[in-house]
Amino acid sequence: MSQFLSRKRSLIAVLAALFLALGASAYGAPRTSGLWWMPDVASKSGEQIDQLTYFIYYLTGGVFILTQVVYIYFLIRYRARRGVRATYLHGDNRLELVWTAIPTAIFIGLWGYSNHMWWDVIHTESPKDTMEIAVMAYQFGFSFQYPGATGKLGRSDVKLISADNIFGNDPTDPATKEDFQSGVLELAIDKPVRIRLNSRDVIHGFYIPQFRIYQDAVPGRTIDWVWFIPTKIGSYQLACSQLCGSGHYNMKAQIEVVSQAEFDKWYKEKVAAAAGASSGNPPAQMK
Amino acid sequence: MHVSATTIDEVQQDGPNIVRFGMFTFLASEAMLFAGLICGYMVLRGGAGSGWQMPEALKNPETMVKTVVATLCLISSSFTLHFAEGRLIRQTKGGKLLLVLTILLGSAFLANQAIEWITLHNEGFWFNTAGIMGSCFFVLTGFHGCHVFIGVLMLVATLIRALTGNITPHRHGFLECTGLYWHFVDIVWVFLFTILYIL
Amino acid sequence: MAEILADTFPGEAHVSHAHHPELSFFRKYIWSEDHKTIALQYLFTSLFFLLVGGSLAMGVRFQLAFPGAPVPLIGTLLPSWLVTSAGAFQPGGYNGLVTMHATVMVFLVIMPLLIGVFGNFLIPLKIGAPDMAFPFFNALSYWLFLLSGIVLLSSFFVPAGFPASGWTSYAPLSSHAQYNGTQAGQSCWCVGLFLNGLASIAGAANYITTIINMRAPGMKMFRLPLPVWALFITAILLLLAVPVLSAAAAMLFCDLNFGTSFFSASNYGQPLLWQHLFWFFGHPEVYIMILPAMGLVSEILAVNARKPIFGYKAMVFAMVSIAGLGFIVWGHHMFVSGMNILLSATFSFSTMVIAVPSAIKTFNWMGTVWGGSIRYTTAMCFALAFVSMFVIGGLSGIYMAATPVDLFIHHTYFIVAHIHYVLFGGSLFGVFGAIYFWFPKMFGRMMNETWGKIHFALAFIFFNCTFFPMHNLGLNGMMRRIADPMLYDHLQSSQPINVFCSVSAFALGLSTIPFLVNFFYSIFKGPKAPNNPWRSTTLEWTVPSPPGHGNFETTPTVYHGPYEYSVPGMEEDYLPQNQPAPETARLAAH
Ligand code: HEA
Ligand code: HEA
Ligand code: CUA
Ligand SMILES: [Cu+2]
Repeated sequence: MSQFLSRKRSLIAVLAALFLALGASAYGAPRTSGLWWMPDVASKSGEQIDQLTYFIYYLTGGVFILTQVVYIYFLIRYRARRGVRATYLHGDNRLELVWTAIPTAIFIGLWGYSNHMWWDVIHTESPKDTMEIAVMAYQFGFSFQYPGATGKLGRSDVKLISADNIFGNDPTDPATKEDFQSGVLELAIDKPVRIRLNSRDVIHGFYIPQFRIYQDAVPGRTIDWVWFIPTKIGSYQLACSQLCGSGHYNMKAQIEVVSQAEFDKWYKEKVAAAAGASSGNPPAQMK
Repeated sequence: MHVSATTIDEVQQDGPNIVRFGMFTFLASEAMLFAGLICGYMVLRGGAGSGWQMPEALKNPETMVKTVVATLCLISSSFTLHFAEGRLIRQTKGGKLLLVLTILLGSAFLANQAIEWITLHNEGFWFNTAGIMGSCFFVLTGFHGCHVFIGVLMLVATLIRALTGNITPHRHGFLECTGLYWHFVDIVWVFLFTILYIL
Repeated sequence: MAEILADTFPGEAHVSHAHHPELSFFRKYIWSEDHKTIALQYLFTSLFFLLVGGSLAMGVRFQLAFPGAPVPLIGTLLPSWLVTSAGAFQPGGYNGLVTMHATVMVFLVIMPLLIGVFGNFLIPLKIGAPDMAFPFFNALSYWLFLLSGIVLLSSFFVPAGFPASGWTSYAPLSSHAQYNGTQAGQSCWCVGLFLNGLASIAGAANYITTIINMRAPGMKMFRLPLPVWALFITAILLLLAVPVLSAAAAMLFCDLNFGTSFFSASNYGQPLLWQHLFWFFGHPEVYIMILPAMGLVSEILAVNARKPIFGYKAMVFAMVSIAGLGFIVWGHHMFVSGMNILLSATFSFSTMVIAVPSAIKTFNWMGTVWGGSIRYTTAMCFALAFVSMFVIGGLSGIYMAATPVDLFIHHTYFIVAHIHYVLFGGSLFGVFGAIYFWFPKMFGRMMNETWGKIHFALAFIFFNCTFFPMHNLGLNGMMRRIADPMLYDHLQSSQPINVFCSVSAFALGLSTIPFLVNFFYSIFKGPKAPNNPWRSTTLEWTVPSPPGHGNFETTPTVYHGPYEYSVPGMEEDYLPQNQPAPETARLAAH
């Protein structure tokens, strides 16, 4: 019958194709070339997260190769041949039990591991010397507000956000007076940072691939649980990774991770400038 | 989900139940529609706290009385329809009359709702001006109103079939569906009335 | 009209039709109430939409490979909201392309192909029924679906064009004209999805009623072929999940046009409410798009391996649990949305658990080919590929289910790769396989196997070339929905991968052409098909190809399960469901 023609040819097609999928999964071996793999990690929690990523990578990679090798072996071994009948078998409850139990165990174990880490990187209190920085996202950019000389970021409230108070600073809090704003996210290496995340219009994303950090900025809410510790000096880009309109494709901000000394210098200048300025809220510098 | 095989012939014997079954599945999804809306309401109201401002026009006793009456109309219309159903199927007296009565009661409810919307609008409460409460109020009652309206149309269609003698002990699927639908719309209103007017 | 709903019992419908087979052209092809015709209407319509959605994807790929380059040929013809005067895509227009690409593919291609086409065509034939329970609503369902497609695509012509807030339409971007700038288009999106929902619900209620009430004598629930089981479960999902989207779409429409504040940040609205409503629908939706494919593939595997499906009941229970759990995992799309972070932990757990039934199915498929006598028909090739592709897509799902990893890959191309491995390598491969497999029954002719194999090879190779590297792009930190990766320092080095993906994507697009040619040629010129070309056991193969009106001369009686292949003691290697087993046959009691 027509549909039986070219069994061999089609078999080769299937195999070639399946092997291609297999081979494909093999490249992107850990850290060989930056092109195929993650950008170098630059934050403490990021290092932890990468461990988990690798763990899953090897787990799923193993599962994939295992299943596919067996599968392809079956496909060759059990291709139709003259006079050979298929085995008449409806199933096997012992097997069902095995391949239900094992994945269940693996998945629950994996959940335990990943959830434990989730607590580490998100829930745990940031260290004492954490510096809090307010981040305000808007169509289409970010601006940042640093604590002034007191080292304490002033209170703010989304309800107070307005054209001339873009951070919604609370004037009743003296600390806000000396807070200063910046268009660049300047960070000191190894110094913990907590983000006070806000949005003025739509939902934006706070995404730094090298820090392995993502958090949506939701208008009308302040999200203050994201914190991280930069571990590599260098400049990075903060990218908005939540579709937020026609300018989304280019909504980003510069991040400079510098030595403590350099940071202090920069910080002093800014504080001085802020003190100079009469108003507690100098107009935000855009980009 | 019953495992025994039902044949087409069996289905034919107790014919309408396949129609009723279909209607129930449909109502299940209708229920999910309102469930979605009502969950939204609960989340929003919970979050709004003091921001949940009931327009004066709704609070005042007069409107309240009107709405209660309208609610009673709708509930009683379920009963009139129920009794109408039995009579129409058995083709005994009074069925058509009760059906007409049901239609009138349903229309009365709709009329009241229309008036309520208009008064609210005149007093400056509309989709965009009555805060989150208004959003929920107009959309929920609006959705329900559309359902009642469709229900009334179905009732009228049923009446026509009754008048043209198209409802017999063996042919009353449409009547049955209308009944189920009407009761459903009725129950939904009891919920909406409680959450929008009383709570 | 409602007559048909109410007063014709399916049996009657059958009989009365039989009385006057001569139907007017209009009743026969336009407003047909024959489930087979409706299935074909769905088939042609959604294949057309596949070309639309595909062409949009080609636009997406072109922009990503050559940002800022004018679109060849048609560039200057396109409207100004989409392209610059030079004919290159605008960033905003690009968002529109992505949004419509996904909306079309999900709501106008995959769902109708799986549910509209194979649900309609196979359910009555496989359970031994003359037609659906409510033929009228079946027809209505198709026309509502077509209308929804027209409304959605009409957004091309409205001011500011396509909706551009993604197929997930997150508020408040989608709910405020001043933010999205595409009020008209976004409204079309809401209305279109609402209508599409009505169509789905009409169909789903129909399927459930039919399967529960109209099975032929002896067709116990556990004798149903797996595609029927899959479609039955899918119908329940549709029935319960889709209305929630309808509600959300209605609220969004009001926010957008009547100034309500459900999803806005001000006036006590809640942006996250949209996400919860959307994903409460959205996750069941993704299983709605895979379960029918799983059912179809299971059958193709069994038939072409000449073996009973391995672990029939396990397969059924796996699908049931996927459906059940599917309603409590929606939060895995919102791990980093600002939702309570404790919830993330719980949703992560349920997501891990829901992977188990998929694992069970995978292993049962492997068990099915084990010890088989595998015929490599085109349908079989696609079915076999489905399993591998689904495994890849599923395994990438595990990365995201682990909340900390999702912190890194959320909204990157890793997700895009995942999407396409499960939806294209999964659902669409399943559909292709099913088309090659049931084509003879649908049109009474065979498709050309050689060209089928060519289509398969091209599609398979270029599919993997297009989408596998997207995992790597994602790990590079390439964000979704950005019109120009070159603007980001960390992405410039990986731009060559984008070019590679795009070139493969064009090839993948072109690979559909052999399919289309083969398809339409075979409809008219293909060799005549026998009743049962694949030597299958299920009921649709016991009637002529294509089956006549009313399907069965006399209601068949079913004697055993759907996959009695290679039964010892018979010289035929298959035992049709409607034939009592011969004395010699040694059926396994299972
Ligand atoms: C057909 C559609 C389909 C299917 C079947 C799936 C299946 C799964 N999906 Fe996917 N998903 C989508 C369609 C689908 N998804 C879409 C469209 C999106 C994007 C939406 C958007 O934002 O636009 C998405 C997004 C998405 C996210 C959100 C990502 C983000 O936005 O950050 C997550 C997170 O958990 C997820 C997880 C999963 C998991 C765990 C499965 C599991 O069901 C997979 C289970 C299968 C397997 C695991 C493979 C086979 C099993 C074995 C071989 C056993 C052995 C394995 C081990 C022991 C590891 N999916
Ligand atoms: C449901 C199924 C489905 C299918 C089948 C596809 C098919 C394809 N998808 Fe799609 N895609 C989605 C669902 C799907 N997609 C979803 C849900 C999203 C998320 C959207 C969002 O973020 O909101 C997405 C997003 C998405 C993106 C990410 C965009 C972004 O985030 O910026 C990309 C980018 O490469 C992409 C590409 C493709 C390609 C190249 C194909 C190809 O497979 C298509 C191949 C084409 C055909 C099979 C059609 C027929 C052929 C022709 C018409 C050829 C003629 C033309 C030429 C050759 C020029 N898709
Ligand atoms: Cu802001 Cu995307
Ligand atoms: Cu999901």
